[in-house]
Amino acid sequence: MSVAGSNVQTELNVPIAVASMTGGRRPGEVGDSTERVNRLEIVVRYALYLVITLFLFVPFVMTVLSSFKTSAEVIAFPPTLLPSVWHPENYLNVLTQISGFPRMVFNSFFVTLVVVALNLFFDSLVGYAFARLEFPFKNTLFAIMIATMVIPGFVFIVPRYIMLLNAHLVDTYFAFMVLYFLQPAYILLMTQFFKSIPRDLEEAAIVDGLGWFGIFWKIILPLARPALLATGILTFQGMWNNFLDWVIYMQSPTMQNIQLGLVSFRGQYQNQWNLIMAGSVLAILPILIIYVAGQKYFVGGAATSGMK
Amino acid sequence: MAVSVAPKAPAATAKVNRRSKGGGMAIAQRRAGLLFVTPYILFFLLLQLAAFAFAIWVSFHHYDLLALDNPFVGLRNYTRLTVNEDFLIALRNTTEYAVVVVILQTAFALLLAVLLNSKIKGRNFFRTTWYTPSVASSVVISMIFLYVYHPTGLLNSILGLVGIHTTEAYLQSTTWALPAIMFLNVWTTAPTFMLMFLAALQDIPKEIYEASSVDGASAARKLFSITIPLLRPIIFLVVSLGIIGAFQIFDQAFIMTKGGPLKATLTVALLIYDNLFVDTGAVGVACAEAIVLGIIIFALTLISRRVIDTKIEY
Repeated sequence: MSVAGSNVQTELNVPIAVASMTGGRRPGEVGDSTERVNRLEIVVRYALYLVITLFLFVPFVMTVLSSFKTSAEVIAFPPTLLPSVWHPENYLNVLTQISGFPRMVFNSFFVTLVVVALNLFFDSLVGYAFARLEFPFKNTLFAIMIATMVIPGFVFIVPRYIMLLNAHLVDTYFAFMVLYFLQPAYILLMTQFFKSIPRDLEEAAIVDGLGWFGIFWKIILPLARPALLATGILTFQGMWNNFLDWVIYMQSPTMQNIQLGLVSFRGQYQNQWNLIMAGSVLAILPILIIYVAGQKYFVGGAATSGMK
Repeated sequence: MAVSVAPKAPAATAKVNRRSKGGGMAIAQRRAGLLFVTPYILFFLLLQLAAFAFAIWVSFHHYDLLALDNPFVGLRNYTRLTVNEDFLIALRNTTEYAVVVVILQTAFALLLAVLLNSKIKGRNFFRTTWYTPSVASSVVISMIFLYVYHPTGLLNSILGLVGIHTTEAYLQSTTWALPAIMFLNVWTTAPTFMLMFLAALQDIPKEIYEASSVDGASAARKLFSITIPLLRPIIFLVVSLGIIGAFQIFDQAFIMTKGGPLKATLTVALLIYDNLFVDTGAVGVACAEAIVLGIIIFALTLISRRVIDTKIEY
């Protein structure tokens, strides 16, 4: 997707993530029952699935294969599928030729991990209050949070930029910590999750005289592992993939993330297709590993409790 | 938006309060609640409310990041947009882009979800591979498609295989550049919405389909008379999120074409960026553009709600 849409993009996953945690039917149980499936129909069906798979996945395969070719071979005509000679050293060249590449990797990881940590704490804290505590203006605040989630991010870009500029936070890591220390979409996710936990545990803890923060920290958070994982993974995706905010708020060459670095490398070396492809593979690798490992938090099943 | 109402669970909490010794607990709880939501209140007041108010204020001024004095100009930043050629081009491109992308990605996402919701071996494999375009960053996707759209890149290679020999440079063509970016975004966004549709599809009671099978309804008939009507709320959600995202298209246009060739891919978001960082003294204009963009998005979301009519009975 596009945009401040890097936010929109990840926020989309929220209802699904909630659904996957709060249970519901397993995928596979349902489906329109196809009566009298004959053989031809099966062949046609699988052909369709295969075509779609090729359509959505082949560009990635070709990117990986291209990253081992010479630059000329990537765009050779007629094209080759496999590299005629494999060049794994392309990856080494990315590390040495893109100036400041290690720093970019560090920037990406550092900002992403700090923002993930902040969100795990603040999103669950606020989410817990919305789900379980009674306090003045609660419903108003919650309604405001839902309503403001749909405001397009571009409306905020200029004023936030000027505010950060005046606070001397532009070009510092703090910019991201201020802008993303909590995210309403994941507060909503945590709220929905906490509402699904039985109250008995808290009631016992109240009698035991554990304070509200103690209850939140010692009793509720350990139970919230699935929701925390979903929040963490989706925040990781959003921050790791973030391009727009780095373009806007970061200006010095040392304050680029890997995405921005890839773009400026391509700007300098238009024709080094193999290195551009190798850099792309490196930039996608961490998020791909997390996707494969934490799939169920991206790809939830069943009920859509978040959106009803 | 379809997202749900305020949380209501006062009954049980109240019970707890009464059981423990009266008011003390309730006060402690109010205090804890307010303390816990303070981070959100700060976020709302500073990063949303103040930022929004400031955006409006800036849009009424001739604003320069370096100037000491930024004079009030009233509505001039807005009225001038109506005769600003770049803005009109950008608005037309963006609207064209958004209409095509939202329609295509919604339809494609629904198709993918319906296919994944049927009984088929290897469902998990398909779901995993189909979702991959949505995991990759906009930058990586842009890099991949720079290669796909290269005159001798993947697209023309594949066309060559089926006998169409061309070395069209899609991104350098005023005809093809915008459609090329549309295609890329449908490709990468549809899988995200696929998951939302899939979750909703699995919520439709199986009995409805069984009953219609007994009545001899065809698969297409079931899709149009059962699935799509029942999915209306989710279709509305997907369309609104699609509108919000598509109207703010920035990354791919910035990376792949810089708005070119000949402004063929100039979008409102790119223009806002230029007015903020490239042109001097146009920050007020940038704010006015962003606010107009926000109003357009808001209006279209309301209209799509009317059109899709999210009321639904089983």
